[in-house]
Amino acid sequence: MIHPIRAFIATATALMAMVLVPAATPASAQDVVKIGQIEAQTGANAIYGWMSSQGAALAVDEINKAGGFKVGNKTYKIQLIALDTRGEPKEATVQLKKLVEVDQAKYIFGPFLSNVFLAVRPYAAEFNGKLLMWGGATRIHDYVGTPGHEFLMRTWNWDAGKNGFGELMVDNLVKTTGAKKVAMLFQNDQGGKVLEDIYVPMFKQKGIEYRLDYFEPGTKDFSAVLAKIGAWKPDFLFPSYADSYLYDIVRQATETGQLTKFFLVRGSLGPGLKNKDGIEEYMVYVPKYFEEAEKKDPKVAKFVKAYKDFYKRDFPYDQAPLCSASCYDHVYMLVEAMKKAGTVDDPAAVKKALMSMTYDGMWKIRFDDKGEAIFNFDVVRLKKGGALEVTHINPN
Amino acid sequence: MTQLVLGQVLNGAIIGAMYGIIALGITLTFGITGIVNFALGEFMMIGAYVTYTLAERGMPYPVAVVPACLIAAAAGYLSNKAFFRFTRNNLVNGLLVSIGLISIFESASMLLWTATPVEMHFVLPGALRVGDIGLPKMKLVVFAVIVVVIVATYFALARTWLGRAAFAYAQNPEAAMLMGVHTPRLETAVMLYSTGLAGLGGALYASLYSLEPAMGGVYVLKGMEAAILGGIGSLMGSLWGGVILGVIEGVGSIFLPTAFRDAYGLAVLVAILLFRPSGLFGDE
Repeated sequence: MIHPIRAFIATATALMAMVLVPAATPASAQDVVKIGQIEAQTGANAIYGWMSSQGAALAVDEINKAGGFKVGNKTYKIQLIALDTRGEPKEATVQLKKLVEVDQAKYIFGPFLSNVFLAVRPYAAEFNGKLLMWGGATRIHDYVGTPGHEFLMRTWNWDAGKNGFGELMVDNLVKTTGAKKVAMLFQNDQGGKVLEDIYVPMFKQKGIEYRLDYFEPGTKDFSAVLAKIGAWKPDFLFPSYADSYLYDIVRQATETGQLTKFFLVRGSLGPGLKNKDGIEEYMVYVPKYFEEAEKKDPKVAKFVKAYKDFYKRDFPYDQAPLCSASCYDHVYMLVEAMKKAGTVDDPAAVKKALMSMTYDGMWKIRFDDKGEAIFNFDVVRLKKGGALEVTHINPN
Repeated sequence: MTQLVLGQVLNGAIIGAMYGIIALGITLTFGITGIVNFALGEFMMIGAYVTYTLAERGMPYPVAVVPACLIAAAAGYLSNKAFFRFTRNNLVNGLLVSIGLISIFESASMLLWTATPVEMHFVLPGALRVGDIGLPKMKLVVFAVIVVVIVATYFALARTWLGRAAFAYAQNPEAAMLMGVHTPRLETAVMLYSTGLAGLGGALYASLYSLEPAMGGVYVLKGMEAAILGGIGSLMGSLWGGVILGVIEGVGSIFLPTAFRDAYGLAVLVAILLFRPSGLFGDE
């Protein structure tokens, strides 16, 4: 039989522990900087988020294993709370609320998807000044640097804006190929509309004749629309923005010989390489041509090795935008900014530090006066048989 | 224009046959056992990824198809034993179990193969050209295989004792049991066959398209449409339902925006159901 006094003491001790332990938590929590991440790690558009969450996790692991980082007299470790939005805006909003209100994360990585960003933006804006959101979505371009959106920074210089790669890519296309007729084939979603908004005015301005077709998300067989486009006889096909479609589009277009020249702004080299005997030309934007960079740049070689060791699989060289690599740099850049700002608790001060620095990682990353990242990228031209030509572009 | 339309009629028929094989699985499972398996697309995904994995490791494609079907069928067997057999004639429970399984299978394939799309090497490259129409050779092979499988299934069910037992079970399970039909075994056999068929569909799919964990979702919806269009319970109806759906989508995309391709098939399905509620080949 349990002695009543002992039972009372045990219960009281347990209760005291329950009360005191949470009270003690904030003291230890001060030594941890929480970074929340909202990205689609699964689902049809997972390609961007899945890769970026890998890059961030790798950098966090490296920093923590090295003992953390020092700001003032304190050493901090990073806790990455990466949540899978599945590309669903509602899901992402709930997750962001959890990160901000429950986990009290002040730094949010993501989202890369515009539809998700548009959904979470109003909520995030309520925390303006108390939060720093680092997203790669194209639609962030419309809001970053505007009043009420000081919490926002755009980590990827996608096609939009003067520092985006869209203009540079189209210039490159016209200059190197003399293309006059371009057929666009985008998926019927927010990403497709974003591309329409960016490239239709650009083609008009440059006197390029264009046609635009949309396809249903989830489509795997493009033979009907490709036959339609093929009958129009364009100089280049400008297809989609996700490898999940590009592999099929390029294969089906070249298999029947209908279309053999491709111009891509957001896909990978993979579909071109896979169909290298069927293509005539495959021009693609890549943030970095890793096969080459790995041999020339020790930082890239170190990253690729770390990736292979950490994930115990080969590096996905043919992966779409390799956002993983950029997020790896972003974690380190954020840490540098915290050190420079002398605080981990003041996102506004950290943002100020970020805006004034250039991070020299795998990319040389800096931000313009609005808070949009500017960094170098590569254009790869793949020719029939697999011959490659790489152009390195450094935006001013 | 004629060439364009003709090309899409042929191409639509081939794509439709792919819908047909899933439709056959649906029609068999629901028509005979009363079990609703919306997760059939996931068994297709399993078949596709297994084929891809084995073929990329050097196994000849026709050989890789066999373990792909067997593994998909084994996954179907386990799913039936663990979940589906408790959902007979209960649409909501079947739906819930299917949703759960879709989530589990998709997450597992994410872990195993990642979200990065993968594409198998070309099994049979090149296209057959007739005038301006180009039809990939592999698509023609896939079409032939599916037609043979569906016709063989039809004859196996129409001309054998097992087939008659299955139909008897579909009409009245208790009476079938009293007449000596081992109904639990029959139910298991149907589940094994339908998920194995989905695995075959996946193996054929892998020879044509890129693979990703979420690929099954679209096909199960198309399969469902094809099964309803052809008439649930009608084996040849599933093939015809798929072919009609594929042709409507292909030809519709020529004259109308491709962005709404899926809607064309659905619109025709609704129109047909208004006049024939049990589908084109279903019993009145």
